Amino acid sequence: MQIYLPIAEISVDPFVVVFLGAAVGFLSGMFGVGGGFLMTPLLIFYGVPPAVAVGTEAAQITASSVSGVLAHLKRRTVDFQMGWLLVAGGAAGAVIGIVIFRYFRAIGQIEAFIAITYVIFLGSIGSLMLLESLRALLRAPDAPRAKRKRRSAGWMAAMPFATRFRRSQLYISPIPPIVLGFFVGVLAAIMGVGGGFIMVPAMLYILNMPTNIVVGTSLFQIIFVTAIATMLHAAANQTVDIILAMLLLSGGVIGAQIGARVGKRLKGEQLRALLALIVLAVCARLLFEIALPPRTPFIVEPAL
Amino acid sequence: MSMFRTIIAILFSLSAEPLQGADIAVALTDDVVEVDANFSGAQVTVFGAIEAETTDIGKLDLVAVLSGPPGDYTIRPLQRNGLIWLPGAPQNVADIPRFYATVATRPVKDIVPLYDQDQYDIGAEQLHTDEEMLPAGYREAFLEAQRSAGRYSDLVGGVFFVKETLFTIKLELPADTPVGDYTLDVFAYRDGVLLDRDFAMLQVNKVGLERRVYELAHERPRLYGFLCVAVSLLAGWIAGLAFRK
Repeated sequence: MQIYLPIAEISVDPFVVVFLGAAVGFLSGMFGVGGGFLMTPLLIFYGVPPAVAVGTEAAQITASSVSGVLAHLKRRTVDFQMGWLLVAGGAAGAVIGIVIFRYFRAIGQIEAFIAITYVIFLGSIGSLMLLESLRALLRAPDAPRAKRKRRSAGWMAAMPFATRFRRSQLYISPIPPIVLGFFVGVLAAIMGVGGGFIMVPAMLYILNMPTNIVVGTSLFQIIFVTAIATMLHAAANQTVDIILAMLLLSGGVIGAQIGARVGKRLKGEQLRALLALIVLAVCARLLFEIALPPRTPFIVEPAL
Repeated sequence: MSMFRTIIAILFSLSAEPLQGADIAVALTDDVVEVDANFSGAQVTVFGAIEAETTDIGKLDLVAVLSGPPGDYTIRPLQRNGLIWLPGAPQNVADIPRFYATVATRPVKDIVPLYDQDQYDIGAEQLHTDEEMLPAGYREAFLEAQRSAGRYSDLVGGVFFVKETLFTIKLELPADTPVGDYTLDVFAYRDGVLLDRDFAMLQVNKVGLERRVYELAHERPRLYGFLCVAVSLLAGWIAGLAFRK
């Protein structure tokens, strides 16, 4: 069976697409990451135009983040005060990201731009994760683990408008969260990711937020930023394929449930090493595509 | 239109006095092709009738040209920049058919003289563009891209004589057939001389949900974006509730 995607303008097998959603959902449930940074390249490999892959992923991540944040709202593990600041920065970042995206689309370099951005981010994050998890795996199992000490970073309190964040037990300036939100917002708009893989470590190690509220607050921010990115991609580029997004979502939510259950049985370090290898494999594939001599010496596409 | 009525209509449209020794008339069984979610390509059947002075119809050659709506294309050469390949300076081609298929009894170049190919746009190589002076390789690259996508094709065979004077031509439309107005031209040749020609129109329309999604996305992009966000939020919420522990 084939189904025609109205915006991507290709015919796909819906079962393959749902399975793709389920596979990435499984990984994201297992590793506790959003999965946008895996799904966007996979959609490109499957033949979806890169610009449509990015716009569509924004919609899908909005949906999957909503379903993810519900549990956190119930457990009250969302810092709204911090969340809104991140959203404010993220909204501005998404707008700038769309401007950059449109510029590269207009000059016909958007596909290469998306590929290069992915190679850089997947390559650096994958390598860091792999090194970190290997180090953890090689460490003697009974060696005492260094306990993360939360110290309030003085430089962030010294910046102007320092505020007390009660839920996060922090006294810092709102500027660092806004800047962090902005940076992640730009990435969300140009890469079709939620940006949790940047946001979560940054919240933990730069903002020094408590571990239990990091994921919920990050999801809260991602909903708004990807919703804005979806809106802007649809309005400015006409690159959101809602039918594709919903097919991916339907597989994704089921995959995530199974993944989360499997993930609980595996060790954290092994999981991270595995995820790092997957990330590096996708990175390598993208790199090969732009570094190896092309199959056809010309690109032919409908004029914008 | 039923097949029977199609044939009757064709026969009546043949003029009483054949010009230049032959008279040809064609019609389509369906002049609208609807592209919906499950569209995986379609076959267009052309019915035709031909009357010739001589009875040796077998020596006649038929060429059918199905030409789709015009479009503009950008062609970019890939150039090595250090480690990676990047698209170079674009060359635009305007107003060229987005779909182009020929079906003929023999290879087109053996049937149609070069002058006629140029005159009547028969054969993809002869298509006119605004940019006659494309740099070397660009035109070939364009044709190759269209052929590998199934949008340009040339088929030898596919013309079937049912009776001496009645024939059918089968044309294949791929799954991603461009939407719009198509023209079908059928030419009858003998020994390199055009005897007669006739044409028919074909429409390819998007229908159903995809059509509405496509039109909304392109005509009311802001409303479409708003709906995408609303659908995503709702779908995510439902999914979250469905898997609540």
